[in-house]
Amino acid sequence: MAIINVGVREIHCKIVYYGPGMCGKTSNLQYIHSQVPREAKGDLLSIATETERTLFFDFLPLDLGKVRGFSTRFHLYTVPGQVLYERTRVAVLNGADGVVFVADSQRDKLQEDIKSLQELARNITRQNKKFSEFPIVLQYNKRDIPNALPVPVMDKYLNPLHWQRYDAVATTGVGVFDTLKAISKLVISKL
Amino acid sequence: MDPQLTSLIVPPEEVAHIDECLARLVDDTGGNYALLLDKSGQVIASNGDGNRQDTTALGALIAGSFASSQQIAKLLREKDFRMLLQQGVRENLFIALIEDQWILTIIFNKGTHIGLVKVLTKKATEELASVLERVRKQRQTRDEVLGSNFRTSMEDTIDLLFRD
Repeated sequence: MAIINVGVREIHCKIVYYGPGMCGKTSNLQYIHSQVPREAKGDLLSIATETERTLFFDFLPLDLGKVRGFSTRFHLYTVPGQVLYERTRVAVLNGADGVVFVADSQRDKLQEDIKSLQELARNITRQNKKFSEFPIVLQYNKRDIPNALPVPVMDKYLNPLHWQRYDAVATTGVGVFDTLKAISKLVISKL
Repeated sequence: MDPQLTSLIVPPEEVAHIDECLARLVDDTGGNYALLLDKSGQVIASNGDGNRQDTTALGALIAGSFASSQQIAKLLREKDFRMLLQQGVRENLFIALIEDQWILTIIFNKGTHIGLVKVLTKKATEELASVLERVRKQRQTRDEVLGSNFRTSMEDTIDLLFRD
């Protein structure tokens, strides 16, 4: 639930990057952090294992400055993707206003994508929210790899609800800002 | 309306009540700093010593650890943990839940007795719970607060800022 704090004229929104392990959630945040102007971003906070796998979450606060007299802040989070961390994902998802589902385009990862999306649906529903109406943007990441699944195949299994969908190569930044723009606008439209 | 389609709009008079409540909690306990967070990790209000660095990250981490403790509670078949205490060498953190929506945190040092913090925090959570109830009931709409052109202006800002 977004917060509109009229007293101090601030708006806060929470966006969570969700998806299976190693799909590129953290890469999205790292790229955003590397490109957004200094005055608009806070530090990128990562709670990760020694091998740089996300253990709890990554957190990147973005400050969009004043819009019509209100300071607007987007807080971006990632969840840990590994299957065993489902409870942690539930904790991070708490109070999210929108979700970017990052799917791995590798042929042998489709099953993990599907399972992760099913889990997301379950966890959103458990927060008493209607999954079909929840703000979600889909990102098909790793489009540069040779064995990437064709987009229509991924659509068939991952996008029956016809969310906005973007092809991406998060490590080089392709599609990262298109995705962020789409989810930000979607969240703002539902304030 | 579905819960995800509504925002929590906190009017100025309620922000003033919250500030007052946090200031009293800091004063009466002799604590250093009090923070009111939404469970999503966003800071609604804070009060106390002005030297706190990065309240935003602090909010995200406290809410994260609280949400994580709620999952531990579920595994233990507890309904939830209403309070959490984190003890450091210099400072301690006492965290309490308000109506499953807000999280009250007070940071205090060795000079403050934990018993006093518990009692006064409980009193403050009750007070803040009634603020939350009023906030939830208030009927101001987004357009009344932000103006109808807000969305277009916001989209322009997003386009301007979010690019390579």
